[in-house]
Amino acid sequence: MCTGGGGLAVIEVRDVSMGYNQALVLHDICLKVKQGEQVFIVGRNGAGKTSLLKTLAGLLKPHSGTVTFDGHDITGMPAEKVARRGLHFVAQDKVVFSSLSVRNNIALAAHAMKIDIDSAIRKAVEIYPKLEEFMELNAGNLSGGQREILLIGRAMIGDPKLLLIDEPTEGLAAKVIDDIFRILTSIKGTTSTIIVEQNLSVVTSLADRIYVMKEGKIIKEFDNKHACIEAAELEVYL
Amino acid sequence: MFETILYGFTIGAVLYLFSIGLSLTFGTMHIINFAHALVYTLGVYSFIGFRDALSLGFVPAMLIAVVAMVPLAWAIERFVIRRLYGERLDYAIIATYALLLIGTDLIKVVFGTLPQSINVPIHVSVNVAGVGISLYRIIIVLVAVLIFLGLRQFFRKTVVGQIVVAALEDNEGVRCLGINISTYFSIVFVIGSALAIIGGILYAPISTAEPYMGMHILLLAFSVVIVGGMGSLTGTFYASFALGMLMALVGRFWAGGANAAVFLTMALVIIYRHTIKPRLHRR
Ligand SMILES: Nc1ncnc2c1ncn2[C@@H]1O[C@H](COP(=O)(O)OP(=O)(O)OP(=O)(O)O)[C@@H](O)[C@H]1O
Ligand SMILES: [Mg+2]
Repeated sequence: MCTGGGGLAVIEVRDVSMGYNQALVLHDICLKVKQGEQVFIVGRNGAGKTSLLKTLAGLLKPHSGTVTFDGHDITGMPAEKVARRGLHFVAQDKVVFSSLSVRNNIALAAHAMKIDIDSAIRKAVEIYPKLEEFMELNAGNLSGGQREILLIGRAMIGDPKLLLIDEPTEGLAAKVIDDIFRILTSIKGTTSTIIVEQNLSVVTSLADRIYVMKEGKIIKEFDNKHACIEAAELEVYL
Repeated sequence: MFETILYGFTIGAVLYLFSIGLSLTFGTMHIINFAHALVYTLGVYSFIGFRDALSLGFVPAMLIAVVAMVPLAWAIERFVIRRLYGERLDYAIIATYALLLIGTDLIKVVFGTLPQSINVPIHVSVNVAGVGISLYRIIIVLVAVLIFLGLRQFFRKTVVGQIVVAALEDNEGVRCLGINISTYFSIVFVIGSALAIIGGILYAPISTAEPYMGMHILLLAFSVVIVGGMGSLTGTFYASFALGMLMALVGRFWAGGANAAVFLTMALVIIYRHTIKPRLHRR
């Protein structure tokens, strides 16, 4: 059972278990994100971080437990409905629509959110001005870092009430990690986020709160409002 | 020789019109749809039905047959294919194959097993370099090329087309934008069915219209889809014409070998992709 009571949460996950076949990969997950919070999830490979985000995004159905988002029960709701309610998800694999232009990648998000394309593009460029130069390029020609930025930009369209991002800095060079770091900093406080991240220096400098996952369970929660947690303290649990 | 090449193009054109739907259904929904052959055959029989019942000309009967089959195609997608979405590959094969068998038997009950005669609507032959070639065949090829170009524009320029292209690549990515892909899959399914019917009706006058016509082309189309790359719109086009030409050329010297040559090519492509190419990349 989850501890802690109500309060104003954007998302509240209670006792969620999920498995791909018979065996569970998520066990009784409880977590909560408050309005404007930037929450990080850390954990080893295979801990179940991606499975958890996909479950929240509606791509996987939980076997038990409930997910309450923005005051509504969204347990088992399909991904497209979850997205339309304002919970957006950036997947781990950095897959963009590679045969469409960057502009059309953004245009599809605008179409889905029923927003006009120009203001959607302005929104994406606001997040990362250099995106402007790539607009007419096929998204398949972007580098890994540029793809991640496009994906985050695309997910920001429609002003999500909660943004889930799975390992945004994975496989990126230090310079690009700085760009991502700046973007995450710029949305901090306004957009509520759950970010899965392995780079502990990114985690400890940005996180309001940190959950540690191991073998499908949340084994530890840190309050990091004053950026007082050291990477070494987290490392112990990984 | 000239005639053989034109024959190859004609077969390629018909294969292309049939294969788009198959390739798109596989690329977007990961479903191998045997019922595509049923829609193709039924389209040709409904063409015959409308032509005879209303004494219509070729083109009006074709258009009415295509329109009349839309609800059926839609229903197959909505009530059979969509339920199989995300299930194991073999469930879809069994269910759609069952549909094909049932439908084929129904055609036999209603129309009989004998081949139906459909006259070639245009008897003009064009003189090219001293050889008379059939204008009708040239028209079939042109229709396929125009449809290819039209589809390319559709997939590049329209929102519906772009959503399908995006879904071919990253299904979950499209859903997570808040787009209900099943609506778009229905549209694509109906378009694919309509094109197959057009291909079937155009081909019927120069082949035979009989209850198993869909099954015959289905096997060849599987090869097209595999050689062209499942879900690849351009690949399907080139593979159709390449295999059509192969059939025509092999068939000219050894009639019995035409189909075998196609299946052999498919086998070689599979072997290349799964055994040879990965090894080359590993080096
Ligand atoms: N599609 C799938 N089918 C079956 N099992 C899966 C599937 N995806 C993941 N798993 C299993 O679920 C467990 C959790 O995987 P998950 O991808 O959620 O971990 P993760 O914490 O995101 O790991 P990583 O850091 O490598 O991204 C693993 O044991 C994995 O093997
Ligand atoms: Mg992961």
